[in-house]
Amino acid sequence: MKKIILSIAILLTALTGMSQSKEFATAMGEALSQYANCKTIDDFQALGNRFSLIANAEKTEWLPFYYHAHCYIIMSFIEPADSVKKDSYLDIAEQSITKMIELAPKESEVYALQSLLYSARLIVNPMERGQEYSALSAQSVGTALGMDANNPRAKFIKLQNDMGTAQFFGKDPKEYCPQASELLANWDNYKVKSPLYPSWGKNQVAEIVAGCK
Amino acid sequence: MKYYLLFLVFGLVSLNVCSQTTISGTVRQQNGGSLPGVSIYLQGTYDGVSSDTSGCFSFKTSKTGKFVVMVTFIGYEPFAKEIELTGAPVELAVELKETFNQLTAVTITAGTFAAGDRKQANILTPLDMITTAGAEGDVYGALQTLPGTTTNGESGKLFVKGGDSEESKTFIDGSLVYAPYSSAAPNMSVRGRFNPFMFKGTIFSTGGYSAEYGQALSSVLLLNTNDMPTEEQLDLSFMSVGLGVAGTKLWKTGAATATLSYNNLAPYMWVVPQNYHWVRYPENTEGAFSLRQKTGKAGMFKLYSSYGNSRYTIGQEDLNQERKSYDYALSNDNYFLNASWKSNLGQKWTIASAASFTNNKDDVGYDTISFNKLLRGAHVKNVFSHQFSDRIKLRFGAEFFTKTYSQKYLTSVNSIINDYTNNTVSGFAEAELYASAKFVTRLGTRVEYSDYLHRANLVPRISAAFKVTKSSQFSLAYGWFYQDPSDDYLLYTDKLDYERADHYTLSYQTSQNDRTFRAEIYYKDYKGLAKLNDDAFYLPASYSNTGDGYATGLDVFWRDKKTIKNGDYWVSYSYIDTKRDYRDYPIEAIPGFASKHNFAAVYKHWFGGIRSYFSANLKYSSPRVYNNPNSEIFNGEHTKPYRSVDVSWSFLYRQNIIIYAAVTNIFGFEQGYGYSFASSKNSDGVYRSSPIIPGADRFFLVACFITLTRKGEANQIDKIE
Repeated sequence: MKKIILSIAILLTALTGMSQSKEFATAMGEALSQYANCKTIDDFQALGNRFSLIANAEKTEWLPFYYHAHCYIIMSFIEPADSVKKDSYLDIAEQSITKMIELAPKESEVYALQSLLYSARLIVNPMERGQEYSALSAQSVGTALGMDANNPRAKFIKLQNDMGTAQFFGKDPKEYCPQASELLANWDNYKVKSPLYPSWGKNQVAEIVAGCK
Repeated sequence: MKYYLLFLVFGLVSLNVCSQTTISGTVRQQNGGSLPGVSIYLQGTYDGVSSDTSGCFSFKTSKTGKFVVMVTFIGYEPFAKEIELTGAPVELAVELKETFNQLTAVTITAGTFAAGDRKQANILTPLDMITTAGAEGDVYGALQTLPGTTTNGESGKLFVKGGDSEESKTFIDGSLVYAPYSSAAPNMSVRGRFNPFMFKGTIFSTGGYSAEYGQALSSVLLLNTNDMPTEEQLDLSFMSVGLGVAGTKLWKTGAATATLSYNNLAPYMWVVPQNYHWVRYPENTEGAFSLRQKTGKAGMFKLYSSYGNSRYTIGQEDLNQERKSYDYALSNDNYFLNASWKSNLGQKWTIASAASFTNNKDDVGYDTISFNKLLRGAHVKNVFSHQFSDRIKLRFGAEFFTKTYSQKYLTSVNSIINDYTNNTVSGFAEAELYASAKFVTRLGTRVEYSDYLHRANLVPRISAAFKVTKSSQFSLAYGWFYQDPSDDYLLYTDKLDYERADHYTLSYQTSQNDRTFRAEIYYKDYKGLAKLNDDAFYLPASYSNTGDGYATGLDVFWRDKKTIKNGDYWVSYSYIDTKRDYRDYPIEAIPGFASKHNFAAVYKHWFGGIRSYFSANLKYSSPRVYNNPNSEIFNGEHTKPYRSVDVSWSFLYRQNIIIYAAVTNIFGFEQGYGYSFASSKNSDGVYRSSPIIPGADRFFLVACFITLTRKGEANQIDKIE
């Protein structure tokens, strides 16, 4: 009898435990699938809200904070003109990135996203912020590559920064084309740690390679 | 038994799946329309949804029992309501209240121009301060393109809203800078001592400023230095007037920078003809050191120390003797130290301490006279700030000032030494109350006691601001401002009282789509201004506080960063009507430093194709008055109007190399700042005079700035070589 009760207890805890991480995986998976449908700022904000909800429910997982910040960074890119709005989206993204760094200080993807945030800040006002934020973006992507030299997203952001700088100084950004092609060719060789981990970027690199021809 | 257990297990599992509750409703603002994109969810769960474009929402949950429905949205206070989930549908009509956002809430702007963080009220950015500073790299030059200021070309100091230059004080990181300007011979222009690149934030308050500051009848300039540098670097400056080098070293929690510069105008003045007769060309050597150290989690300690020496000798006509000129030799030694520390004490308290020390010595030799002036001062200050709630903040603090001023005249026959020391103790308290995100009031009081004057003063400072629409606001300020009389007077008497000015300021500002408009009217009532009633300046009885005056005017400012692509301009106009009876004035008259109409326009343009930033300033001030002792009327003559167009061009040659060229007064407008007169009549019964003019019609500067860093592309260094 004791054995039966014990096994029921174990089964129940396993069920509830599994249902919690299962719920997390299900909610994350469902939200991630929504990315393909997002086009406008409102779409990304609604998706960002979903990730924020998951983040608040879990509290110890860095991945929902990552995507929440990612959505808001994309919103700042889509926003056509209002720099006050752009900065306000980036402020929200920055809050999530700060939490993310606390939860996962050794995770390369975390610093790669931080570097994307700094690049987004720079774009809002290149004249004022060029010097400060290009240095910060370079530092973060350097940290990301230091933790994982093969991280394709970190490589992509560094490539984008380098090409932007080259273009600004009137040098031919096409000298980075071989790097872009190599990155695209090796993209699928990188094994992400779980299906929930960030895997974006291939399309963007493909666009760069297409522009190179 | 088995079946029973299986049933139990499945039953428990299915309990989670079968009964669903529908939660739906609408979300609206407190006094307004619906809110789309709002997040509604059950706290601690994944069940939730975003509201649609009409603010409606609906979602299902399988949870049962007591749960809290959370409704959150940026810019609004979160809404929480406990509900019981039983399967019966739940309807919610949610009203969200706007939260308090420091960045967009109303800010008191009366009499204030701020450059710095992203608050909506800030009109200028740190880059503006740097690019408008012109060829001389002078912070005060940049401020003279803002409303409320009058350019006095022969002085170079700040003259604000009908006030004398002594009525404006400069503070860096909270502590007083006793000698913010360089030293110069009479009627020769000075400039600010500090490099505009040092500062991340500037608050230029032209009236009605906070109770935290005192001893300035007209304005305070608050400069905040940069925080941590981002990387280790070596900066090299090569200029047509000199060389400079600065090195920055970084460690995990701090940074240090050392700077060395040497300027000598001899080569420049040999090439460009000058109006003045230079016997020894201006030469300046300066070294500075700064330190940043993080303390604890949120604290920062800053230290800045500089030492500089400047010298020149100029030939000046002696108006009291025919066909005679004398050499005026000036050597200035300036030592300045400034330290500040900011930190949080727990969640709701912050502490800010600041201290400064200045030792400024001028050694002058002219004719057979040797004269030196020493100003030594120290300032220590501590301010506490307590955030009672999102909407109520209290600041209070105490400070101690000590100043010794001494003058020594040595002629071949005698020596005269005069000095005085004044210690002042002050305290202030100020509360900032946000009745809503649209209405804020600041109430403050300040008390000061001077041991040299044996006098105390107590003042109110009140200001308020209210938003009329999302992008526009009114702001007003009222206060009493006391200041010690001039050092030159206090050398001879300690019987004087404080001078006083009461400010009344009303301002309107609207900012939308990168365009800002601002208009301000003010009235300043001056009382108790110090007067010298007699030629016997060395007798205490010659001085009194019977002077008074008024200043009133209108300032208008328009800035547009949007209309012209890659272009940014601002236009500022000030009308100043002022009269005063002070110092040695025989009657109430318009003072010589104020002009009725002041206009400035600044235009900046970025040429991406050639990576160049071009900037031009236009300044105009209507003629000022000056006194001709040969005339019956006091201050009855007029100078030429002041006109100048300054241009500068910055070229980003490489990511780390900037080439810079600038010209002040490119069109060579002839400036006339009045006349200086002899102190006694000549043999014809006339006071001889000579015109006061600038050193040269135009000033040119060419420079190259190189930054070397260890990190970053290796090919950066290759390219320099």
